[in-house]
Amino acid sequence: MITFENVVKQYPNGFRAVDGLSLEVAPGEICVFIGPSGCGKTTTMRMVNRLISVSSGRILVEGRDNRDIPAEELRRKIGYAIQQIGLFPHMTIYENVAVVPHLLGWEESRIRSQVDRLLELVGLDPDEQRDKYPRQLSGGQQQRVGVARALGADPPIMLMDEPFGAIDPITREVLQDEFLQIQKEISKTIIFVTHDIDEAIKMGDRIAILREGRIVQFDTPDTILAHPKNNFVRDFVGADRALKRLGLVRINEVMDTDPPMVAYEAKIEEARNIIQKRKLRSAFVVDRDGRLRGWVDKEAAERETSLTEAMAEVPYSDIAVRQNATVRDALSAMVTRSFRITPVVDSKGKLVGSISLRSLQELVERDDSEASEVSP
Amino acid sequence: MGGIIASFGFFFLPLLELKPNRLASGIPFELLQLGGDTRYIILFLLTFIVLAVALNRTTETRGWTLVALGNTMMFLTLFLGALAGANLIGNAETLLEGVNLRNPRILPSAGLILGLVGGYVTLFGGLSDLRKAKTPRVALIVAAWSGLALILIFLLTGQFDIYSVMVEFRARGELLGNRIVEHIMFVGVALIIGFVLGVGLGLWSFRDERMAPIILYVVGIIQTIPSLALFGVLLVPLARLGDRSASSIFLFLLVTAVIAALAIFLYRRFVQSFGPRLRQAFLIVTALLSAVPLALFVVLLSSFVFRSSFVVFTADGTVFASFRTLLSAMLLVSIALWLISRYLKKGLLKRIMRYGGLGGLALFGLTLLLAVGIGSSQFLSRVDSFAALTVRDLGVSGIGTAPAVIALTLYSLLPMVRNTYAGLVNVDPAITDAGRGMGMTPSQRFFQIELPIAFPVIMAGVRNAAVSLVGIGAIASVIGAGGLGDFILSGIDNASIDQILLGAIPAVILATLLDAGLRGLEQIFTSPGIKQV
Ligand SMILES: Nc1ncnc2c1ncn2[C@@H]1O[C@H](COP(=O)(O)OP(=O)(O)O)[C@@H](O)[C@H]1O
Ligand SMILES: [Mg+2]
Repeated sequence: MITFENVVKQYPNGFRAVDGLSLEVAPGEICVFIGPSGCGKTTTMRMVNRLISVSSGRILVEGRDNRDIPAEELRRKIGYAIQQIGLFPHMTIYENVAVVPHLLGWEESRIRSQVDRLLELVGLDPDEQRDKYPRQLSGGQQQRVGVARALGADPPIMLMDEPFGAIDPITREVLQDEFLQIQKEISKTIIFVTHDIDEAIKMGDRIAILREGRIVQFDTPDTILAHPKNNFVRDFVGADRALKRLGLVRINEVMDTDPPMVAYEAKIEEARNIIQKRKLRSAFVVDRDGRLRGWVDKEAAERETSLTEAMAEVPYSDIAVRQNATVRDALSAMVTRSFRITPVVDSKGKLVGSISLRSLQELVERDDSEASEVSP
Repeated sequence: MGGIIASFGFFFLPLLELKPNRLASGIPFELLQLGGDTRYIILFLLTFIVLAVALNRTTETRGWTLVALGNTMMFLTLFLGALAGANLIGNAETLLEGVNLRNPRILPSAGLILGLVGGYVTLFGGLSDLRKAKTPRVALIVAAWSGLALILIFLLTGQFDIYSVMVEFRARGELLGNRIVEHIMFVGVALIIGFVLGVGLGLWSFRDERMAPIILYVVGIIQTIPSLALFGVLLVPLARLGDRSASSIFLFLLVTAVIAALAIFLYRRFVQSFGPRLRQAFLIVTALLSAVPLALFVVLLSSFVFRSSFVVFTADGTVFASFRTLLSAMLLVSIALWLISRYLKKGLLKRIMRYGGLGGLALFGLTLLLAVGIGSSQFLSRVDSFAALTVRDLGVSGIGTAPAVIALTLYSLLPMVRNTYAGLVNVDPAITDAGRGMGMTPSQRFFQIELPIAFPVIMAGVRNAAVSLVGIGAIASVIGAGGLGDFILSGIDNASIDQILLGAIPAVILATLLDAGLRGLEQIFTSPGIKQV
């Protein structure tokens, strides 16, 4: 747990980069600091591990004023990852990840297994990468090592300053997903600095929006999107915040778990029945294991005499969305393929539900009635 | 390409010169005139064929072919040159009719030099091919040195004695050995002192950014003095200095140091509030004021260290380190410790180094005082006499090796200071920040991050200094320091190329070996993660 109590940072030139900031980061949560450039995100973060001193107020780390802990000891208990990564170029990957365990005087055998575990955790093959040097890795791999190094001695707290900021958008998405997955396992208390609102919404359990060294709003992503406190926040999160909210909802939370489906071996009448009964325009075809094989639409079902001739057979990945994707993904899939209803599958391609354009519309309307403001 | 140029040179430029005696100028001979020695022509036609083949092969085959070719060219150029030369000497009577023949000699001429250069260039090209093809190290070393080794063997067994340089060498071989040792001595001592001071000052300027411009200015100013002038300039004041009593010169050092410290203090304290013009002026004044005690300090230190007899050989064959040597070593180590400790921030190591360094300095001063005080006492006079100490007794004198060491030390400062500073300053701030953020102490950061990353740059400075000192050291001969410059200077006086070469060739070899040795050290201690490929 990290508590900021009325923290002020005044630089020697008189500039107040942080101006009376109070905030509490709960154990195991990712708290995102976001705001325009120069608003004091980095300064605030770096005061936690005393890379920058506090001018007034105090910061409690797990209940203790961080000035009561010797700086080096404090920093070894707090993971630190930065945008520039800052891997030590003259050390191997192994040595880089082992830095803090070495500083703490761990036994070599313990360090070895720890490094291997961490490299695996961040998706690098230890045997392949351990003895390489940073310059032999790609940017994405280097940042993975950067995260592994920050996790070096299993610190309860992590500070991450735009860790994925310098990485190409595709790799960034992958790293974000992976990191969320890792966080599920390790449950660290994390301060995560970014200037990218999409990243903030995706990564944050709570988001602190900063402006000129003060907190403007500190809430969950959903609340910030639904109830922006003022025009600054509204502008900052962007006009498409209704759409962004859809990005917070997982498909399996809102999908219809009883999708219209017929078995691949079934007679054509069965398909006609389902379509008629449920007043639909089409139904999905699944094989014996419940995996999606294609779909059959109303006209074809009435025209043809057998299901195999009536159906359109396609790989499931072409038409379906994954159940753990966001509703926003489903919407974008439906728009690009002009479907009114999209099948939802699990990771093995098994049909687990469906989601329709109409249900999405209802979802947005419900959200809007919850929200005090409606944006067109 | 180089090989082709060289071969042309070989054919069309004079290969050898036949001189009637040591001083008279000789008659050039071209390859085709050399008694129809067809072996040459066949050899070089052959090389073209091999070359043509080699250019179309894989890098490895081409590399080995070029290496073989280069080595052969260098060797055969000398070997066949020697054969042809012997021939010429044999026929000297007829070739140089009517000239007074006294010890006729063979001088290598442009063609022969080109042949060697061509061979070297070819060899070098081959080596870089092999390096690209990832040939094992040992094989590379063999490839690089086999030709030279062969030449060396022939040299040592007297096969090449026909060349005039070798004649000169035979005549002065013993002297040459002495000169080389002298050269190595004063270059080496200057390099060691320069290393301690230079790297120390570099660390200091890195540690304290307000000191950086002052220090860099001071060593920069010293570097701008032409070397010959510096030797000359040192001549008079050092001779004068020598007459003073040691205590007065220490007093002078103390006073100038205090003044410099005051200037530095004022500069650091107030420079912020000045405009850019005034700041610049203030900086220069401060730097000049600090240059005086620094230079004086180097003078005393270098003289003292150099004048010490490093080892004393006694009649029964045992070796003692002399009293002064111990003192000098203590002095150097103390300075090194103190300067390094300035870099470190709080911590046990800093305290140990700081007090160790200061303690060592104090002990040194005390011993010196003691020595001055009871100079004539039994104890001291038996080991090393400090009686009636004048500055000259400390080693300071206008001529000889001491001023040479002083000047060379001063010259070595700039590359060492600059590279140490640049190497450390250019460590990516993100890397140091990461180290800080992970909880490294300042000394851990220095020894585990900054130093290893800056190391190749620092070593480049040391190599730079080493190579230039070997060269500048040759000039030290004008102030009677000895060394290889003696041959070169007398060679110039006598217009004798042989003598010049006798001084120059060992100097080049010395510089090359020193560079290679230091490069080797650099390679060994540089992490593969930051090595240039
Ligand atoms: N050492 C310093 N001295 C004076 N001002 C500084 C210093 N470091 C940062 N600042 C200023 O403080 C403000 C906040 O900086 P920072 O926390 O790095 O912003 P960001 O939110 O972009 O991370 C900026 O306006 C910056 O110019
Ligand atoms: Mg920042």
